[in-house]
Amino acid sequence: MATVGTRYLAHARTDGEGRLTEADELLAQLQVACGGAVGTRVAIPELLALVEKAQRYGLRLARQFEAVDGEHRITAWVEIAPLTDEAGEVDGCTIDVVSWQSEDLPPENDIAAARRRIEINRHLADCTARLDSNQRLLSVETEAPDLADFAEKALANVGKPWTDFVDLPGNAHQQPLHWRLLDGARCEIDGSQRGWTAHLEPLGQPQPGSAGFVLYLSADRPLAIADEGAAADTSEGPSFGRDLTPVLRQPINRIIANAETIRTKLAGPLADEYSSYAADIATAAQHLLALIDDLSDLEVVESEDFTTAPDRIELADVARRACGILGVRAREKGITLVAPPEGESQLAIAEFRRVLQILLNLVANAIRYSPEESQVWIRLDRIGSRALITVADQGHGLDEQQQERVFEKFERLGRSGDGGSGLGLYISRRIARAMDGDLTVESAPGQGARFTLSVPAADDLRQKPR
Amino acid sequence: MPETASPKVVSDQDALREALEAGNAALVRIAPILSHLLSTPDHSLFSDEIVARIRGMCQHLAWQVLRAQAEAAGQAGREAFAERHGAALAEHFFGSPALLAHCHALAIEWQLTEKLEVRYGIDPVLSPLVQELLADQDSSLASAAMASLTAQARFAQSQRRMELPLSELPGDLFHDLLMGWRAYAGQVRSDAMIRAEAKLREAFDEGATRISLMARVVTAMGSDGLRALDIDRAGTALFVSALAIRSGQSRVDAILSTNHRQTARLSLGLRAAGLDSTDIERQVLRLDPQANPPRGMAGFTVEEARRLLTETPISGTE
Repeated sequence: MATVGTRYLAHARTDGEGRLTEADELLAQLQVACGGAVGTRVAIPELLALVEKAQRYGLRLARQFEAVDGEHRITAWVEIAPLTDEAGEVDGCTIDVVSWQSEDLPPENDIAAARRRIEINRHLADCTARLDSNQRLLSVETEAPDLADFAEKALANVGKPWTDFVDLPGNAHQQPLHWRLLDGARCEIDGSQRGWTAHLEPLGQPQPGSAGFVLYLSADRPLAIADEGAAADTSEGPSFGRDLTPVLRQPINRIIANAETIRTKLAGPLADEYSSYAADIATAAQHLLALIDDLSDLEVVESEDFTTAPDRIELADVARRACGILGVRAREKGITLVAPPEGESQLAIAEFRRVLQILLNLVANAIRYSPEESQVWIRLDRIGSRALITVADQGHGLDEQQQERVFEKFERLGRSGDGGSGLGLYISRRIARAMDGDLTVESAPGQGARFTLSVPAADDLRQKPR
Repeated sequence: MPETASPKVVSDQDALREALEAGNAALVRIAPILSHLLSTPDHSLFSDEIVARIRGMCQHLAWQVLRAQAEAAGQAGREAFAERHGAALAEHFFGSPALLAHCHALAIEWQLTEKLEVRYGIDPVLSPLVQELLADQDSSLASAAMASLTAQARFAQSQRRMELPLSELPGDLFHDLLMGWRAYAGQVRSDAMIRAEAKLREAFDEGATRISLMARVVTAMGSDGLRALDIDRAGTALFVSALAIRSGQSRVDAILSTNHRQTARLSLGLRAAGLDSTDIERQVLRLDPQANPPRGMAGFTVEEARRLLTETPISGTE
């Protein structure tokens, strides 16, 4: 602004749809506190109104907005300027924060708090029931599918206390208790995986409850998420992406940090070979971290629109990188990894990271299932327009039935306790196919197994065209 | 052909009837306006001066829009173009209640500013509080105060000329005004109009308007903003801005509440803004020494006062 020398406290941008595309910390935090995120629509109600207005008018506006982040009342002064694209159409806005006042929210008075709580219960309840003054059921209404059984049972037993139809864990008293003791009680309901909270709104004056009650049952999570959880529970245990990723990331990050400390000899002098082991640890852990991301994206890999970012890559590089990462593990079992000889080359069109991921999976499997003192070969080849990379081991091999099943999800071929997840080959084949390639196996019992990844080949640009 | 009137006679009759109806409509309005003027002992809200100021501001707005249009069309006699259409467009603007309310409030604000200068010697532009803020440690507050001072000086100047620069309108009114201009121009908009409108919108910066700068100063003062609720120290402009922001009223409503028949609203507004009952009484008497401040303000909490205000809004204003 021309008239005032202004120091901006924060800056943000929205796109034409009112989504917050970028935001400095101040606004980003408030956006999150209001239930949004960077990338979603502006969640701060008054700010959204301003942004939409500036966009609609095509005018630069400067206004105050107020918001509550849960603990503070925030009063901020913002300048909002619409952005125009080449066609002269307004496409998003910039937001500059000029001043930012934050004060503690005044304590809410009890009556207002109680009223608000009732309002929230009313809006969130998946089930409402009307009770008489002795907490006996008069009517039940629900739209939640997992409460259908409950509602049916309850409706067939109108006139009985509502507490007969729910489990109140840790509450062994004769039911129903006084409503004030039951208000806010946690309960479990047959047929529903979700945890429930019961709220009782007393009706009638002057004695609250003299005209009966309204019972609100609110679940601890929405049904959609509950369903996903239930499906995951039956088929694959805890969901990797949701449950394990955060748990795994932290220790792995620590491994990397410590390995890096050892590698760089920060903690004191160390023999060089140990330092290089530490480097291997760090590399492996880093790759593990990337793998966790991939696994947590299992749903993404499985979706039809999963794509990779193909590039011209050198398969020999990928093979050597895989041997480097897994060399230590192989040596521990006395297995020799035979990488493609120096100078051998095969160019392909594929995503480096994904090919490496597949190769690591194949080589790790080979190491895991090969006898000690054996060899694992990695060979490059080309057939027509396909570039091939093959991992061959001297293990027990697979019979035909096993070969059919080995790429199935969670297929362990009867093995357990060796650290495998049964997902590796499944994901690898998915990725291979997403890169316009394939992953196949040739084997016979007692003759070892040969896993072959084929991807589109690329010609060496340095060679003269034939 | 005596039986049937010719089409020309019919259309003449229609025209006459229309003119008659229009005339009647004007006459019908005489009674309520007259009775209102006669029954109101105090004309401070409708004095000739106020009406003249509102008319002046609307005409100035119309002229500025038309001048921009003439400029975009490249017409030589820009002043003449504005002269030709100015009165009619201004009349069109009279039909916008929000714009009228805004101009009315500005006229009242300026009248109050002048009154306080005469009565208590409060400088219309540089009040003691503004002077203090200019030296504030918070450089962003100090520079906002400086900008508001400049804007207030511009305001004083334009009010003396009964003018209102387009660039001083709040964003919503600016938009309304441009839409009104479009409506006045009719269905077909010339390229010149489109260019002129785009140029006006491009040049508009709400953050540079006086009202916005005042609000920004009050916001930047934070909890210290209570100090702006002393009209002797803050001056009219900052006082009404602080009153509006801190009590949750529009600035128009806050200005109207300074009228001496609005003591109840003023007291409640000051309570909602956070003043205690002694200070409220002081401010009320300061604005009107003959006023009878309502009793029992101490019994209202800030929230109750705010709720009462929002439950009984002034109709017709935003």
